[in-house]
Amino acid sequence: MFDPKIIKAKFPIFKEKTPLGQDLVYLDNAATCHKPQSVIDAITDYYARGYGTVGRASYWPASNTSRKFDQVRKQVQELVNATHKEEVVFTFGTTDGINKLANAFLRPRIRVGDQVIISEMEHHANLLPWQQVCHEVGAELLVIPMFESGALDYSSLKTMINDRVKLVAVTAISNALGVKNDVRQITEIAHTCDVPVLVDAAQSLAHEPMDVQALDCDFMVFSGHKLYGPTGVGVLYGKRKWLDQMPPFSLGGGIVKEVKFEKSSFQESPHKHEAGTPNIAGVLGLGAAISFVQSVGYDQIKGHTEALTQYVAAELEKLEGVRVIGSNENRAPAISFVMEGVHPHDMSTFLNEKGICIRAGHHCAQPLMQKLNLPGTARISFAVYNTEEDVDTLIETLKETKDFLF
Amino acid sequence: MNERIKSLYKSHIMANARDESQVGAFSEATHVLEAYNPMCGDQYTLYLELNGTKVVRAGFEGYGCAISKASTVVLTRNLEGKTLEKIKPLVELFFELVDENSQKSPESLTQDKDLLAFAAAREFPERKQCATLSWGELRQIYES
Repeated sequence: MFDPKIIKAKFPIFKEKTPLGQDLVYLDNAATCHKPQSVIDAITDYYARGYGTVGRASYWPASNTSRKFDQVRKQVQELVNATHKEEVVFTFGTTDGINKLANAFLRPRIRVGDQVIISEMEHHANLLPWQQVCHEVGAELLVIPMFESGALDYSSLKTMINDRVKLVAVTAISNALGVKNDVRQITEIAHTCDVPVLVDAAQSLAHEPMDVQALDCDFMVFSGHKLYGPTGVGVLYGKRKWLDQMPPFSLGGGIVKEVKFEKSSFQESPHKHEAGTPNIAGVLGLGAAISFVQSVGYDQIKGHTEALTQYVAAELEKLEGVRVIGSNENRAPAISFVMEGVHPHDMSTFLNEKGICIRAGHHCAQPLMQKLNLPGTARISFAVYNTEEDVDTLIETLKETKDFLF
Repeated sequence: MNERIKSLYKSHIMANARDESQVGAFSEATHVLEAYNPMCGDQYTLYLELNGTKVVRAGFEGYGCAISKASTVVLTRNLEGKTLEKIKPLVELFFELVDENSQKSPESLTQDKDLLAFAAAREFPERKQCATLSWGELRQIYES
């Protein structure tokens, strides 16, 4: 029997009190999730009882570290259903993965007059790297429009796709609005012209499985810290043909076959793309985070967090002057709203006084806010440890907020 | 937040945020400043009419949270009739008022309740940039 309170007890942060002595009501999980004890233990055990580097030392404890590190790669392969373990490259996070692809994948193959397609709802991390490369070479950045409901206009994408497009880069879930995109439809449309597709899955993997083979995406990126894992670690999945074709993401130790002053040669993927000593503790923590997610099960996580989202959506709509942004159909566990006459930052400060953490602002999606003609929104986002009581506390406090701030 | 400051927040910041008396552009402005916080999108255009070194009129247009709007209202209201020489210590006082590391109590700095209310920002360092958005932009005038 799934019980979020039992889950919550696995997260030590919730034993802490806020500076004002309240229980922590944490509703900013789209920004980052808290960590279960098992993830914290994996990191401290590594540093305290088995510290060593990976890949290039033949002594204990390094050999043991290498084995564990490689096991996490296997875990990620299974998590996203990659065909080969070698399609999993460890990065420092989603942003890092996208920047690496912009430089190593897009830059060498894009020319003046070519195009890159993103969507209107992208996080700056899935916009700026592509925009920069396009500016440098004289290519065009095209944008899939979004309806008021939050759904992307897939028919527009059909008209936009052509042989000059070098990449389609879209998020699976809008971090700002919580709406889900039909990634499968996007890859189908893009592949009619053999255009590769990158999926930003930063918001997805904490909530639902992402099967790279079923979605048929060419690349997928995500971060550890939004998946109950540590900061500073992430994953770039790439189809093997692309990873093999690309030059190394960065250059340095651990990626070479042979180095000469005249010319050097490199290892196969994924090692050729992981120069330097990686974030080993981060990768091991990510492994523990994946184990945590799998021990709870995506069915339970998704069922619970989406039920909480529908509950809070219904409660928000009962509040006078509150407007939820985007449709509640096909919504991930994140919801953005505005309260008439109350600026999101004022709301956030007031809620913080009561121990409630929400996010206010543009959510690193300024073009989306411009489209919505909003300076920002208040966003609530759930993780598996949230409860109905968290929602009730929030709603009661929002009622007080209106009294205080009016 | 101590109860007195909290009470001032509610009474003075919220009241000033709703005060429209300083809102509006005017063609006689000799200085136009843009105060913008890219972290949150708050944005105010400040209009100042200077006669010599004296501010004869000040107003603004824009949008932001209650704290940034109230602080812009209080700023523009306080500028009118003052010379730049008088404005400089006022701006510095305001920055000290919201500085959580200041050794001086808010009450020792000013008895003006409209200003004193912003000492609430000492409790919320993340909101300090809201309180100082327009005041920081004004520094450019007397620093130039």
